[in-house]
Amino acid sequence: MLEVRGVTRRFGDFTALRDASLDVGAGEFVTIVGASGCGKTTLLRLIAGLDKDYTGSITLNGERIVGTSLERGIVFQEPRLLPWLVLWDNIAIALDNTLLSAETKKEAVAAQIALVGLTGFENAYPAALSGGMAQRAAIARALVGHPSILLLDEPLGALDAITRMRLQEELLRIWRHERVSMILVTHDVEEAVFLSQKIVVMDTGPGRVTAAIPVDLPYPRDRASAEFGALKHRVFTALNDNAALKKAEIDYLI
Amino acid sequence: MGKQLGFVQLPQTALSVPTVSMPKVVPMTLLKIRAFFAEQRYIGILLPLFILCLWQASATFKWIEPVFLPAPIKVIEAFWYMLTQQDLLLDIWASVFIIAQAFAYGTLLGVGLGFAAGLSRKAEMFFSGTINTLRHIPTVAWIPLVVIWLGLGAPAKIVVLAKSIFIPVFLNTLQAIRGVDHNYIELAQALKLNKRQLVRRVVLPAILPVVMVTLRYSVGLSWALVVVAEGISGLEGLGFLIFRAQNLLMTDQLLVCMVLIGVIGFLLDRLLLAVQNHLLRWQRGFGGRYA
Ligand SMILES: Nc1ncnc2c1ncn2[C@@H]1O[C@H](COP(=O)(O)OP(=O)(O)OP(=O)(O)O)[C@@H](O)[C@H]1O
Ligand SMILES: [Mg+2]
Repeated sequence: MLEVRGVTRRFGDFTALRDASLDVGAGEFVTIVGASGCGKTTLLRLIAGLDKDYTGSITLNGERIVGTSLERGIVFQEPRLLPWLVLWDNIAIALDNTLLSAETKKEAVAAQIALVGLTGFENAYPAALSGGMAQRAAIARALVGHPSILLLDEPLGALDAITRMRLQEELLRIWRHERVSMILVTHDVEEAVFLSQKIVVMDTGPGRVTAAIPVDLPYPRDRASAEFGALKHRVFTALNDNAALKKAEIDYLI
Repeated sequence: MGKQLGFVQLPQTALSVPTVSMPKVVPMTLLKIRAFFAEQRYIGILLPLFILCLWQASATFKWIEPVFLPAPIKVIEAFWYMLTQQDLLLDIWASVFIIAQAFAYGTLLGVGLGFAAGLSRKAEMFFSGTINTLRHIPTVAWIPLVVIWLGLGAPAKIVVLAKSIFIPVFLNTLQAIRGVDHNYIELAQALKLNKRQLVRRVVLPAILPVVMVTLRYSVGLSWALVVVAEGISGLEGLGFLIFRAQNLLMTDQLLVCMVLIGVIGFLLDRLLLAVQNHLLRWQRGFGGRYA
């Protein structure tokens, strides 16, 4: 469905992303892990269509991506709710520029608020929401237009461990309910193994994709199981190889 | 123990029913008065009261000649005289009418052109040189020319004051639009908002805090300028009265005008503050609860 082929993005002389390739099937859940600065956000912005300045090709269902579309929902690294709109309007705004009837819009917004468990907070301003609630609102906003792919940039990065685990369960529930493809960026290897069907490992200097590890554990996954541990280990090894290689380079340079 | 407690509590709860419902019948005004003291809101009138006492004392003990500072009661008498025997209300209205119109025109033009310049670099290049030159000509310097053109009446003052409101509103609107968080613009892009929706849903609310502060600031400034303008030219308004009182050495009337100008300025600002608080009710800033 989504195909990223040999994508390179430069900022002046600096190469943020080099020759990155990635496949996401219809309804597939893919996570991207990698050290800070390896170009995860850069890649997601390219897929979202917020950034068009790249070489290589990014296609969705065979069509080259030009600009943003409600077909590709995005959840930014921070909730990015508009502080002057109440929760309801913050989600409804995603339907502002669609041709749906007012009635349909209302139903869609209410359904999405219920899906992320924020019913009862429709009239709350973002300042009155907790971090987890705000992030769920951001997910609802990205989902309300019924995208075929949802891009999530470390949506749970700033949350405490307990809220984080609860929201991971919710993400899985939403994913199954909406049958939407997902690309989720995370720093957390366990989160990646728990959620996704494929883990894409990236590395810095220059930012690139170094491995794609399939995860064929059945859902719901048991974090304490041996297979789970083995997969976590595999991803860590892939990440560590990156780090080890870099260390070798440094040693060599010295 | 438990039984005893239960036994003792029964009559208490029976008794407490009327006492609990008591506060509900206390009228709102009483509650407001209570809050006035409980939340120490009265500290705002302590200083004015003190000044008034000092003023009265200076009259009672003849610290200052009445020609220079008449007693508060004389000023109130003068106020009553101006209200009933002269056209004080008309003069107040003349001044308020000028600032209201100047405010409307200056704001509309300032926000309108500010938006044009803010949303289009071309428009900004077109306007900003001119406006940045005009703004260095002080408002008072405009008065003679505009009076020659439009005469001594209200229109000349409205034009001059509208200009003095327009300049800061324009500049701050433009600056605020330039300062809108790029993340929000990117969000609007991701949500496929069109230009009109972007302005209405994102840009306008984002710059509102700055625009509201500018409006309050420039209304305060223009209110002062109304008085100056009326003093320089014209035959009505608080500014006219105050300079006439000076010429005739009617210090009591002069003080009436001064207090009125202060009070009306205060009320204008309060009005705008109420509007601001309503429009910015989503903002949760620093509440000032430190001391
Ligand atoms: N607009 C830009 N101009 C210049 N350099 C940029 C820009 N955006 C990103 N970069 C650079 O590209 C690199 C990758 O940035 P990116 O935000 O994609 O990292 P990331 O993998 O998302 O990191 P993190 O996990 O910390 O969010 C960084 O070194 C960053 O400095
Ligand atoms: Mg990032």
